[in-house]
This record gives sequence, C-alpha cells and structure tokens, in this order.
Amino acid sequence: MSATQKRYGKATAFLAVLGVLAVSVFIPHSCRAQVVDATAPSINAPLPSWESSLDGASGQSAEQAQATPPQPAPTAPPSAPSLSSLGFPASQTQGSAQEQALLNKRTHMLKVHQTLGLITAIPMAAALFTGPQAKSKGRNGQVITEPTAANLDFHIALGSLTTGLYWTTAYYAIFAPKVPGVKPKGAIRLHRDLEWVHGPGMILTPVLGILAYEQENKGEKVHGAASLHGTAAVVTAMAYGVSIVAVSWPIHVKFWR
Amino acid sequence: MLKKFLVAFLLAALPAFCETGTTWVLQQSTLTYHMSHPIHQVYGVSHAAKGKGICNSAGCDFLIAAPVKSFDSGDSNRDLHMLEATRGAQFPMVIVRTRFPESAIASPTIYVNLDVQFAGQTAHYEHLPFHLTMEGNQVRISGTIPATCSDFKIVPPSFLTVPIKNQIPLQVEMTWRKS
Repeated sequence: MSATQKRYGKATAFLAVLGVLAVSVFIPHSCRAQVVDATAPSINAPLPSWESSLDGASGQSAEQAQATPPQPAPTAPPSAPSLSSLGFPASQTQGSAQEQALLNKRTHMLKVHQTLGLITAIPMAAALFTGPQAKSKGRNGQVITEPTAANLDFHIALGSLTTGLYWTTAYYAIFAPKVPGVKPKGAIRLHRDLEWVHGPGMILTPVLGILAYEQENKGEKVHGAASLHGTAAVVTAMAYGVSIVAVSWPIHVKFWR
Repeated sequence: MLKKFLVAFLLAALPAFCETGTTWVLQQSTLTYHMSHPIHQVYGVSHAAKGKGICNSAGCDFLIAAPVKSFDSGDSNRDLHMLEATRGAQFPMVIVRTRFPESAIASPTIYVNLDVQFAGQTAHYEHLPFHLTMEGNQVRISGTIPATCSDFKIVPPSFLTVPIKNQIPLQVEMTWRKS
C-alpha cells in the first residue's frame, strides 16, 4: 500500500466517523427519546396486561377482589405507557384496605355525630324557650312568684335530655378515628374551635341549673353564680347554633336545577 | 473504501428512518371536579396529575393519573368524606387512558374515547370533545369528562338527608410537552 493510499484510507475513516456523529446529531429528538425509552423497561416494556398494572395501582388483594364486583378489563396495547412509568411512588399508588376501613368508620361516626347533633338542637331550643317559665319572678321586697312544678320539671327534663344527647353527640366526634397527616382546613376549623365555647358551656349550664334549682327549693331567690344559669345557657346555645351553620358553610342555595 | 463509508453511514442512519415515535409528557395540569347539592356547590382541584403519551405509526396512547387524595375542595373534612365515598384509600388513583391517531393532534378539536378507572370501577366515555392549542413544542388541552356517581357505583353522599347530584363532571386543563 502506497503512502497516498494510506492517507486516502485515513481520510475515509475520518469521514465515516464524522458521518456517524452527524447522523446521531440529526436524528430527531423524539427518535432518541424512543431509543432511550426502549432501554427503560418501565416505560416501553410490554406489560403482562393493562389490568394487571392497574391492579397494582389499586392494591386490590384477593380478599378485596371478592368483596368488590369484578371490573371490566380494558385492553391496552403493549406500547401504551404504564402507571409505573409516570413516577408515582409506590406508597401513593398502593391501596390499603385498612385505611379504607378507618375512613369508613370515621364517616360512620361523624354521620351519627351529625344526626345526633341536629336532634340535640331540638330539646336545647325547647329548654331555652321554657327557661323563663322555670324561673322565680319578682324583685326583692316584692311578692315573688314561684314557677309551677310542672314548668320546672319540664325544663329540668329538657335540660337533662339536652345534656345527655349533647355528650353522646360529642362522644362520636371525639372518638371518631383521626386520619394521620390531615390538618383541619376550611369550615371545620370554626366548627372545632367553637367546641371550646359550647363544651364548657354544657358543663357549666347544668351545674348552675342545679344550684339555681336548690336555691329555689329553699325558697330563696336565685343568687350568686346560679343567677348566671340563663346567660350560660344562651351563650352555649348560640355557640352551638353557629357551630352547626359553620360546618355547612359556605351555603349556596340552588334548588332550582 | 467509499463503499465502506456508505455502508457505515447507512447503518448509522437506519434508526432515524425506522423510528417515528413521539413521546409526550404532561407538564402541568388542573383537574377540577364539581359536586352539586341544593345548598352546596363544591369544586375540588388537583394539580398532581402525571401523564405520558407515546405516539407511533399505530396511533397515540396516552395515560394520565392523579391521586384521589390530591383533590382539594378547601375543606379537609369534606375531602376526607370524598375519599371515603369514592373508596379512595382502597383505590387511590384515578387513571385515564385514551388512544387516537397522531394526526388528530394537529386539529383544534379532538374527539376521544376515554377509559376512566376510579373507585375500583372502569367507565368508558366515547366521542368527548377536547380543545387543543399548539404553542411551539407544547399543546394545551381542555375539556370536560361528564362523570357521574353511578358510573363508578359511588353512593352519592348526602347532607341533611339530601344526596348530592349524580353528575360530578371533571374539567380538565392540561399542558403537554413533546420530548
């Protein structure tokens, strides 16, 4: 081989390498992505079936599959992207029957809380309404009119019923399972904050009521802390009413559609 | 030697001619469900969807998924109730799949058939219009999926003994980037 032929050979080899580099540069970006994808089994590898990849997402165990109706199995082509290729962490895509059971229990208890709470509002309003009839009337130095035994008993019965229902309602909220990592947001915050008003109010009001009843039984005009029974009852009932409205807020009435 | 060069060139250039695939990646998204009750109108929004589309000569396959718990209605109590009603802990993802010809991406409105997996059920929606806007290497897609509670066997939650409306349409706003 002559020196000229050697030089010619080197130049051709150089041009070939240059050509390969040039082609790789000019291959469309999408084509290169396709090549990269082909090396990434999570993206382009044929899936056993679409259903199986989705089952992984739903975390459906054999037991759950029996509990839930069988799902239709849509077929996806092998080239279709899979859920695992989207980059969600497994903890986010795996279902949990335990968490679902916790949510179900929570919802059940809060539904009971809601229903009992609305029922409680009825004797509470009635107790407020009958309060003035269960109170001695007349100022010091004047003739004091005692309430009738019927009025007094009725008011006491309503108060007792309200107290019993209230604490039963509270039980279902206090002992409803908490979902970890969820911070209260929205209308529920005011609903919860108002617990600190009507909760103590529902302790104080009956205690002051009992004191007032004892004083009246002794023929005394209600005095001292017991005289605040009515005020405590009104404040408690108002906080309770606001609490009911707050949990429903904002209200957008739209009955016509 | 020239022949060798040509062969090397053709071998190197071959992948460019045989591969025509395009991959689309979901850049950003806003998914909004609307729930209607006589005294409440609720909008739950999620920006956590991820998606991928692969186009080849057979057509385009798109997959979009979002965690059910990522929908935020502004009230944590309501969101947890939604999660319970939709069996969101057991089936934590809402997954949408669709397939259409690649040429459809060039048109301003695309009609697609969707398979939506949600709450342990799969519902099929046909011929849904989605509006497309091309912006350079990106495409913005918007449309509405007319989902209902009954499609996914969800018992409509009730408030004050009145259940919500069966319709829970999902409004979709997405930006996809060609990669």
